[in-house]
Amino acid sequence: MRRRRLAPVAALAAAALTLAGCGLGSDDSGSGDAKPTVDANAKVTGEVSFQTWALKPKFTSYVEGVIKAFEAKYPGTHVTWLDQPGDGYDKKVLSQASAGQLPDVTNLPPDFALPLAKQDMLLDVAAADPSIKDEYVEGGVQAYQYQGMDGTFGYPWYLNTDIDYWNATKFAAAGLDVKNPPKTFDELLAAAKTMHDKTGGKEYLMSRLPGIGDFTNAGIKILSDDGKKFTFNTPEAAALLDKYRDAYKAGYMPRDILTNEYLGNSKLFTQSKVAWTTGGGNAIQDFQKDNPSLKGKVVPSPALDTPPLYVQGLSVAAKTKNQAAAIALARFVTNAENQAAFAKIVNIFPSTKASAQDPYFSKSDGTPESDAKVLAFQSLAKAKNLQPPVISGATNDFIGQQISLAISGKISSQTALDAAVAKANQLLTQ
Amino acid sequence: MLVIPALTWLLVFNLWPSINTVILSFTNARPIGGGHFVGLKNFETLLHDEQLRWALLNSVIYMVVCLPFLTVLPLLLAVLVEKKLPGITFFRTAFYTPVVASAVVVALIWQWILDDRGLVNGLAEKLGVISGPLPFLSDQWLLLLSAISLTIWKGLGYYMIIYLAALGNVGRELHEAAAVDGAGPFRRFVHITIPGVRGTMILISILISVSALRVFSELFILSGGKGGPGGRDNSVVMLIQQYSQGFEGNLGYASALSIVLFFVTVVPMLVLARLNRRGAEA
Repeated sequence: MRRRRLAPVAALAAAALTLAGCGLGSDDSGSGDAKPTVDANAKVTGEVSFQTWALKPKFTSYVEGVIKAFEAKYPGTHVTWLDQPGDGYDKKVLSQASAGQLPDVTNLPPDFALPLAKQDMLLDVAAADPSIKDEYVEGGVQAYQYQGMDGTFGYPWYLNTDIDYWNATKFAAAGLDVKNPPKTFDELLAAAKTMHDKTGGKEYLMSRLPGIGDFTNAGIKILSDDGKKFTFNTPEAAALLDKYRDAYKAGYMPRDILTNEYLGNSKLFTQSKVAWTTGGGNAIQDFQKDNPSLKGKVVPSPALDTPPLYVQGLSVAAKTKNQAAAIALARFVTNAENQAAFAKIVNIFPSTKASAQDPYFSKSDGTPESDAKVLAFQSLAKAKNLQPPVISGATNDFIGQQISLAISGKISSQTALDAAVAKANQLLTQ
Repeated sequence: MLVIPALTWLLVFNLWPSINTVILSFTNARPIGGGHFVGLKNFETLLHDEQLRWALLNSVIYMVVCLPFLTVLPLLLAVLVEKKLPGITFFRTAFYTPVVASAVVVALIWQWILDDRGLVNGLAEKLGVISGPLPFLSDQWLLLLSAISLTIWKGLGYYMIIYLAALGNVGRELHEAAAVDGAGPFRRFVHITIPGVRGTMILISILISVSALRVFSELFILSGGKGGPGGRDNSVVMLIQQYSQGFEGNLGYASALSIVLFFVTVVPMLVLARLNRRGAEA
């Protein structure tokens, strides 16, 4: 009786193991396939698809204008523009990649491009277009070059960075000089203590947990040179976490930062609940639009230590049926002229070297909004990608969880970092 | 011949996904680029996964706390609102309202209520009951307790309706006869009402156990999707979601977690079903 009951289970398990043994597809290293080749001399003509990320309806006329200009420059071409909504873009790209239906030219940030490049789904655009290194800023190009892989897997489209924003009213209430805001993390900690002590614990300066970017900023090496091992569980990183833990324990940060969603510090700043946040060069406009009482009270300054570099780019699908037109379109959309025009309507910064001379980005008209924009543009020169794109969402989540355990004092900083590195290495090699 | 469409449906939409999950659990499959057979590696990793241990503990605590509350309280409510009194419909509707509201909306409202600067802390501080805000959403155990409270609050009306239907089948003449024999309301409840709805209680217990072990929305929203401090308020379903999302999602490991969840869910169901059978035979 019992044996008869077990028979279907055993059969199912055997079938499963047999099927699993058959393999599910390509090896996940992507090394089994030949690299896609590039024909740089093919004629630019025919159909090409172009996918953007949440540009409709706000920038419809700009994108349509660029497409029209491209089609006029290359007679016989026709661009099909697809714009995907902001939410769930990664899932959309994922499903397109899984189905082998990646558009010819797709807007992908470096961390989205990496897994696709690993699977040989993206073209090495530098092989097709060696001038890429001369025309685009180094940081933008490097963002699409990955450790352990040969090639450049995207044209940098536009850049952004963070600067600091301070609430002048709260600074004054704590007796701090907003014209001389903190420039380093240690100065920030000292100012946070002053703000807490002078206001009886009612006001906060800091309101975010540290992350990988903060370790990079503190000079801690995140990855080994070969990109195969995480190395940030150092005594220096533990010391940095200890500083945050002590600040949290002393009440210099709101308690709910342990469960805050991303951009919590920005929201709290907008709500006038904290006196410091980081944000892009145009964030000041959002703060004042969402909370008009902040108008005239927000003071921008350069980011603490090294500013982060955020890059958006256009990648070309390896399986595109119209390689020449796809490369030409990616180049055209990201050229200096089109980028500068885009940057003037959306408050981001161009990734082309030619744009550095444009006074629009480098000269302030004296308003805080313009000051912020110029500060951000100037910061780009020394901005760095503070978080390696190899850090996946699951890895980032786990690191964040361990950091929050350390900050809450539940485990020691070193234990948290060791656990984070062990798990990150495990996820890296799976 | 007639069963072929139904059988096809069953195979394609029910059986194949389950079999595929088993297959995937023995691989290192990713959303793109497939994967290959890794034997029992995912299950070995599970054994040492501290996050899974916390998630299982949370799920079991969830079940153990929810089970008595959601089995007994709705029955008491049903007994109360069963009476044909003026305005009783209002109370029935009021108790049922949280069931109609979406779990996401309800959880968001509770997040606002329980936040450090929320309604509960604000009121308690105004009344001088507490000096500083209670960390309902940032303390590991208080967050779990908050989520459990939300689940109980939301589930009361749903199970009350099921009990109301069951109470309609308990013979009124039994209550009348017991009253004539001198049994008070409490004795009548214990000796007539409870045995009368025993089958329903078992069914509800199974439903609660399964729901509690598979909890997601309440914990996800109250913890801002992060699973509480250090991810120690994750449920098993949240872990599955975390591991399977994104370009680098580990579908193999997430499938192995799903199999663990399946067995964890089946055990209480079997226990309760056996209890039911024993009770029926007695």
